[in-house]
Amino acid sequence: MDGVEITLGTPALEVEKLTVLRSGKVILKDINFKIKKGEFVALVGPNGSGKSTLMLSVLGVLKAQEGKIKIYGNRPMSRKLNGKIGWVSQAAANLPKEIKITVRELVSLGVVNATNLFSLSFKDRNNDIVNAIKMVGLEEEQHTDISRLSGGQRQRAVIARALASNAEFIMLDEPLVGIDRDARNSLLKLLDILCHKENKTILMVSHDLTAMRQTAHRIIYLEEGIRYDGKTENFPDFSTLAGLRGIEHVHDHDLLKTFEKGEGD
Amino acid sequence: MGLGTFIHDIVAPSMEAIAPLMPGETFPIFFEMEMMQRALLASIMVTVVAGFLGVFLLIQNLALIGDGLAHVSFGGVAVGIVLGASSPLWYALLFSTISAILIYELQSRELLTGDASIAIFLTGMLALGLVILRVGGGGITADIHSYLFGNLLLIDRDSLDMIAIITLTCLCILAVIRKPLLACAIDPLAARIQGLPVRGIGLLFSIITAAVVVSMVQVVGTLLVTALLVTPAATAQFVGKSFRSCVIWTQVFGLASVFGGLLISSEIGSGSGSTIALFAAIIFAVVAISKSLSGILSPTNDN
Repeated sequence: MDGVEITLGTPALEVEKLTVLRSGKVILKDINFKIKKGEFVALVGPNGSGKSTLMLSVLGVLKAQEGKIKIYGNRPMSRKLNGKIGWVSQAAANLPKEIKITVRELVSLGVVNATNLFSLSFKDRNNDIVNAIKMVGLEEEQHTDISRLSGGQRQRAVIARALASNAEFIMLDEPLVGIDRDARNSLLKLLDILCHKENKTILMVSHDLTAMRQTAHRIIYLEEGIRYDGKTENFPDFSTLAGLRGIEHVHDHDLLKTFEKGEGD
Repeated sequence: MGLGTFIHDIVAPSMEAIAPLMPGETFPIFFEMEMMQRALLASIMVTVVAGFLGVFLLIQNLALIGDGLAHVSFGGVAVGIVLGASSPLWYALLFSTISAILIYELQSRELLTGDASIAIFLTGMLALGLVILRVGGGGITADIHSYLFGNLLLIDRDSLDMIAIITLTCLCILAVIRKPLLACAIDPLAARIQGLPVRGIGLLFSIITAAVVVSMVQVVGTLLVTALLVTPAATAQFVGKSFRSCVIWTQVFGLASVFGGLLISSEIGSGSGSTIALFAAIIFAVVAISKSLSGILSPTNDN
């Protein structure tokens, strides 16, 4: 479906002429793209292509050498963005086993923000917590300690935390890593529902191109710059993609391997 | 009248009332004599706040920061004694707070990994204290000894006031910031994106840790601070199934260690601080062993 044109006005994200260095090395150079509200965008690319760097720059953790980033018209980390962005990191899904924290306790951390920081009670946000848990389908597990959940369930719990904050823009870093196929499919379905029913804007980093082709509206393929940015259905097949990467006569399965390898940048 | 004396005056009648119910030959004096009542109150106050703090320290993998800051505090005490201060613990508070802030800065700027900066401050400030004691004071006197191993008899009205102010203030702050603190401890980046002042909370937490450690020095001694700071919280991880229940279990194990330790030490004449620490370690061992035994006996229950 063509859900790309549904909203006008300020884009959710604007990246203009972005150049980012890490330890003196150019990781991203002259990156330009925009994400509209309500879009589901997949950011794909092989290991070391700068996906994580781009994500961290958008979040404001890494400083850009050149260019600018605007989220809803504001600079990253601006106070005006408080509570608008939900960040689903890999770290959160890999919480140490020693930490005993239930799904509900984890999700309830999402309602804390700069304005209610010193509140004694968060009862007024109870509905947000309950709804977020319901949305990701963890009602039965809500009092279970997260170390006893499966990888997919844990990922859902972290997404619920982002949802409890009422974030409009959800960014996910490799949420499909380390979870089985069923969990992967239901997670993708959840993201699809969040995008279409809850009008969330989604930017997801993944190296799982196959999965992304099934769900995302749009794919941005990153490798030493943006090699492809467009609708998912127009995403080139692997041999054309190889051409885009400057590699000729590569066999499809070689490229597939690049995507299927685990990654941890 | 300070806060500690005020609390003491309020609870003293009830302590005296329950004294006959207490076990042991000597132990009931903790409920009868004014000096011992102060000692017991101080022990309870530091245990409660240390346990609460300890749960957060464990999550952040900072179990040894308490030990580091306690050694720094000892350096502060030594400087205070040599300078002739009437209550050297204020010097300990100053040293410990500054070190905690510097350790936090070194860690958050990634100049040094967690353990290394703690180790440097621990040894550096301890060495400073020892050198100053040799040069300016009389070496390791009985007075110094009691700061190393704790001495409940040293807790006079002023000390109790100081302990009460530190522990109650820290407890209130921790209670108010528990949620943002947990968010920052679990995933600092997500917390920052949520709009939480991660740096501010981290600094506040460091200062609280420094202050709590100083308040514990007279009760268990600089060498044994970690016993009340980390051991009860670590034991609680075996039985708790949520963050909330871990916080409660930590208090159970912490207070059990204090009562058990004081009871035994008063009966057999062992040092109170070390007996409390030993009791905490024994509780940990018993819980850990019975937990792994029950895991072996019922393999389906993987918790």
